[in-house]
Amino acid sequence: MRVQRQLVVDTDRHTIWSLISDPKRYPDFMPNLERWETVTEGPAGVGSRYTVHWKIGAAPVGGVIELVEFDEARDLAWISITGVSLRGRFRLRDAGPGRTKVTFRLAYQSPGGLLGLLADRIASRQVGGTLSASLENLRELVEA
Amino acid sequence: MSNGFTAVRAVADNVVGWARRRVTPEIPEADLDHRDPDFIRDRLPGTWLLASLYFRADVRGLHRIPADKPVLLVGNHSGGNVPPDTFVFTLAFCSYFGVERPFFQLAHNLVVSAPGLGWLRKFGTVAATPENARLALQAGRASALLVYPGGDYEVFRPSWERHVVDFGGRMGYVQLAREAGVPIVPVASVGGQETALFLDRGQWLARLLGVDKRLRLKSVPISLALPWGLNISDLAGHLPLPAKITVEVQDPIDVDGDDETVNKAVLASLQAGVDRLAVERRFPVIG
Repeated sequence: MRVQRQLVVDTDRHTIWSLISDPKRYPDFMPNLERWETVTEGPAGVGSRYTVHWKIGAAPVGGVIELVEFDEARDLAWISITGVSLRGRFRLRDAGPGRTKVTFRLAYQSPGGLLGLLADRIASRQVGGTLSASLENLRELVEA
Repeated sequence: MSNGFTAVRAVADNVVGWARRRVTPEIPEADLDHRDPDFIRDRLPGTWLLASLYFRADVRGLHRIPADKPVLLVGNHSGGNVPPDTFVFTLAFCSYFGVERPFFQLAHNLVVSAPGLGWLRKFGTVAATPENARLALQAGRASALLVYPGGDYEVFRPSWERHVVDFGGRMGYVQLAREAGVPIVPVASVGGQETALFLDRGQWLARLLGVDKRLRLKSVPISLALPWGLNISDLAGHLPLPAKITVEVQDPIDVDGDDETVNKAVLASLQAGVDRLAVERRFPVIG
């Protein structure tokens, strides 16, 4: 299941990157984030690991994730090591002078066959809402 | 009248004797290897659907559970023989800490050995014996064991006492925590006792039928439940009403006093948690 939300922010890519490249700031703009812990030491980069859980429905969903792409002011992506199979991505692209299109994408797949598919489908609405609210909060932070 | 009672008692004795002969050999050994993380992982989505859509479950405070050492989780128990608080909490624990963290639950021998419930052992449910409890707390670097000291006494309390935490004087769990050197983490929950209308624990009926000694069943509860209507014993389970289940983990308690002092602290913590959650409920079942 792939869920994606995007919006255009009135600021340059580097300003947004300064925020999303510091995962310690994620609790500042991601709603429903029940757990966010740094697993590895040092600055964020490819190979950095975090424990992250979003409250989706009755349970915290997530696990340990690892950054697999850290392309300055362009892309930041991660995959899950434990928990639900998950890929996530922040994608920054120019949208005119001083403007940036920010895309927040989550692709996930629950185990458990048909019930997993059903759970993915039902959760997608709440996941989409979480992504939209994260982007809105991000915009407020960078445009403030 | 006397002859009638004797006949009833004789029939009950035969039934109980037969049940004991069938059940006793089925009680699992203290083998925790039945727990299967991959099986649990595959079942989490279905459990999530049931917990999210049917019980609208809400689990809070999981961050209070120490992540890097063994813990004894002690909960108040509700819902008769179909207690939603157990599986809702199991779902939340396994989602939060991952299925890789050893997590076990103690249950009555009859539950673990009941036909068709063998899959519970794959979830980490083991028969409630001191040996199993000790082994479960030693099963890994950060193993967790969930116990309900109130057991069948608490789980069948009348529905109008749904917000009362009552272990019936049982405090063996304190000794268990002390011997294992682990903290106790109280887990408060509300909603489970609204999944049926529980009328009476039926301890008098258990004594009358003799199952208190023969099967360690202290209660033969009486309730109104789907789909049976009048439900005596709840041995066959029931269809729970879709009551909203809310669970809140409390702060850990170190076992540094005598059993009674620690038990009082755990009961006080649980009761405070239940009271807090009860205030939030506007209507029974709906939440």
